[in-house]
Amino acid sequence: MAGIAIKDLSKSFGPRDESFAAVSNLDLDIKDNQFITLLGPSGCGKTTTLRLIAGYIVPDAGTIHVNGRLVSSPGSVVPPDGRGMGMVFQNYAVWPHKTVFENVVFGLKLRKIPAAEARRKVAEALAQVNLTGLEERYPNELSGGQQQRVALARSLVVEPEILLLDEPLSNLDAKLREHMRTELKVLQRRTGITFVYVTHDQAEALALSDHIAVIHGGRLQQYGTPYEVYSKPANRLVADFMGLVNLVSGKVLEVRSGTGKIELGHAITLDVALPTGTSIGDNVEVAIRPENIRLTKPGNGSPPRAKISERTFLGNISEYYATLDSGQTLRVQTHPLQVFAVDEPVAIEIDASHCSVFRGSAAK
Amino acid sequence: MTFEAISGSIRIGAPRKRLRLEHFVMGGAILCLIVLVVLPILSLLFGSIRGEQGLSLDQFGEVFSGRLYRQALFNSLILGAWTGLFSLIIGVVLAWAVSRSDVPGKTLIQLTVSLSYLSPPFLTAIAFVYLFSPNAGLINVLMRDVFGLPWLTFNIFSMTGLVLVTVLHTFPFVYLLASSALQSVDASYEEAAQILGASKLRTAFSITAPLVAPAILSGTLLAFVNAIALFGSQAIIGLPGRIVTLPTRIYALFDYPPEYGLASALSLVFIVITVVALYLQRAFLARRSFVTLAGKGARPQLINLGPARWILFGFAVAAFLVAIVAPYSTLIAVSFSKSWGLAFWKGLTLSNYKFILFEYNVTQRAILNSLMLATIAATIAVFLGALIGWIDLRTRIPGRKLLDYAALIPLGLPGIVVAVALLQFWLRIPHLALYGTLTILLLAYVGRYIPLGVRAANTSLRQIDPSLEESAQILGASWATTMREITLPLIRPGLFAGWLLVFVPVIQELSASILLFSSSSITLAVAVYNLYETGAVERVGALSIINMVIIGAAIFVANKLGGGIAKASTAREVTA
Repeated sequence: MAGIAIKDLSKSFGPRDESFAAVSNLDLDIKDNQFITLLGPSGCGKTTTLRLIAGYIVPDAGTIHVNGRLVSSPGSVVPPDGRGMGMVFQNYAVWPHKTVFENVVFGLKLRKIPAAEARRKVAEALAQVNLTGLEERYPNELSGGQQQRVALARSLVVEPEILLLDEPLSNLDAKLREHMRTELKVLQRRTGITFVYVTHDQAEALALSDHIAVIHGGRLQQYGTPYEVYSKPANRLVADFMGLVNLVSGKVLEVRSGTGKIELGHAITLDVALPTGTSIGDNVEVAIRPENIRLTKPGNGSPPRAKISERTFLGNISEYYATLDSGQTLRVQTHPLQVFAVDEPVAIEIDASHCSVFRGSAAK
Repeated sequence: MTFEAISGSIRIGAPRKRLRLEHFVMGGAILCLIVLVVLPILSLLFGSIRGEQGLSLDQFGEVFSGRLYRQALFNSLILGAWTGLFSLIIGVVLAWAVSRSDVPGKTLIQLTVSLSYLSPPFLTAIAFVYLFSPNAGLINVLMRDVFGLPWLTFNIFSMTGLVLVTVLHTFPFVYLLASSALQSVDASYEEAAQILGASKLRTAFSITAPLVAPAILSGTLLAFVNAIALFGSQAIIGLPGRIVTLPTRIYALFDYPPEYGLASALSLVFIVITVVALYLQRAFLARRSFVTLAGKGARPQLINLGPARWILFGFAVAAFLVAIVAPYSTLIAVSFSKSWGLAFWKGLTLSNYKFILFEYNVTQRAILNSLMLATIAATIAVFLGALIGWIDLRTRIPGRKLLDYAALIPLGLPGIVVAVALLQFWLRIPHLALYGTLTILLLAYVGRYIPLGVRAANTSLRQIDPSLEESAQILGASWATTMREITLPLIRPGLFAGWLLVFVPVIQELSASILLFSSSSITLAVAVYNLYETGAVERVGALSIINMVIIGAAIFVANKLGGGIAKASTAREVTA
């Protein structure tokens, strides 16, 4: 199996004078046997990165090594057909003029596998994606999900060391997407193939990955396990992109070694870990996830700090907008049985250990 | 599935910059285009400014001051203008009738349009000469000598006659563009006007007309460009009537001693006119885009014409009679008569066919040459077009747009100008005797019709998502394998349509062939024209009919084959 080492990779598109950097100075070390996700909003450069790995695009700067061998550099690139990788495209790219069998056997024919063995391998690959019996169908006789699985079988049957997947689930309906998500994960475990998976769906990334690379504006923002990326976002962009978050401005009151006290608006203080170099009086921004805020009825020792301005019942949770005395509004998720009325004053408790602090004020 | 390393698996290769097959093939395509189009045009330019000593503009001076040349220029413009006007009227009326009214006999109208478009214009011209030549034309004789109505005779050898014959070939351009525009105007635009209180007539003029006007103007300009380039009818009808036009003037310059310089200068003037018209045409067509944006949900409503629809029907029948029935029945009648005249039906005979097919030694050679040239030219044009289209759409080679433009240049070149350019270029190359060979004809045909191949390939390639090719590539397929297994099968129906689009005009090409042929490389159209010049009326009829039968049969066979291919690839639903 194979690891991928990306060093200082850059790629721009467009005419030279007004070119647009799709990827800049990207460093990424993908270990063997991993399911890693390139996550970011559309246009962030994640697909360009994937196509650079596949060899469809020549980088402007930087290198890509696969298993220690140089495969891409500005001067020379191993073409895609010489890389032995597999790729599943967003639109599946199942060839419409070939049957399911012909689609899947294509790569084996190129490798000159004897016919009998090829047939056996195709049958195995189709069984693996639950398509047995559909060998003679043409793609236009298949549903979207089935076409997607043909694309998967076609890539897997040649047993690549690296499989690249470009938003392979984005064209499926919600239920099928969840089902295929599980199957992909199981498949990766079983085969040990290194999966590089591109998506803009943070829930998908969290559910599938061993590691997530969050990309924004062509730059790597954070590379870590799903837990790290979600609970310890490296910056405001990552915090904002990984699920719902309240970004609240505050002021540093005390600084101890690594931690400190922050005041949010009036009289709400938090003891949190501070970024290095923060000093007293600095303006900071605190990222608080809605599930880390607790609302209670005001009482002894917990004076009212906010007023409910809106409530939405979502079934498994209730969502409230609570307006602080300072005028800031927090989004809060609570247990559905905990009920507050609109305009009701509430006390607020924030789980400071799950908050992240970024320097600078929220200049939006 | 187990994941042991499989035998023959693709190893990670070393990075490389070395040339691969695709680079050679693409380089070859670019080279072909340069040799076929760019160099001949450049030598035309060069030839037009080369004087006795060094460069000079004397030849242009002569072209613009000489009475003969100015007259030719003037005649061509007059011819183009009238032809454009009448094509506009006929094309729009028929297009509107078919797509917006309840006129009966819509199939008849469509048949008229397709047959007019496919008929070789020089055959129509010959047929009309046999009906309306001042002295011997059948109808003229009938009117003058039998009915005693000399004021009802018509002299075909006049500008009116030339316009009439030319319009029969050019009105389909307006029809096709107008009807596609009319069909793509969303009915909801018209319904919105009507709900606001506009009458149907008001709606037609204030809503529909402005929406389709760019397409109609563009069709008219196409008619203009095609009209002034037709050598055949201008020679057959114009020359006896002393109406010299640009193509016939250029042709005359090749009488001994040939005046290459003047011919080149006049050709360039011709190119400028055509290019300006085509530029305007593109500009008009570009403005049409907002029409096609409309969804296909709402179908246009048909206007109930009431009794008036029979007037329109009469117009359609008249068009059918004049454009199709008159020329074809005339040629058939001529071909079977012993002596063409009022009493032709008294002596019907097959001897003309016998002579043409078995005794006239030109016929078989011409048929063979034409079929062979059309087949090869169409195949080359389409494959070259596919490569150029592929380079334009799928690679990032610098200058690929330039390549695309270069491939479109021949659209602005009238056939006779292509011939002049080829002569200028190839005759200058020592030790290469191409003049009068099949090769130079092939070069002319491929060069002239390469735009059709490129356009057909471009359209089909745009419908194929690049990921279909990329997914073959990442599985280890080389460029050649990807082309053979994925790209070509997917664009085959489109390429085939393009093939037919080149084949049909090539097999009836006259304008360029007339300057390039020799007795061994004679083609069908040239054979007809030459025989016509000798005055062998009845035999010309027979050869014309044979010509038509061959064109018809070729289109039929090609369509049959193409239909089979199109059906085989039912999987037209290509991922968007």
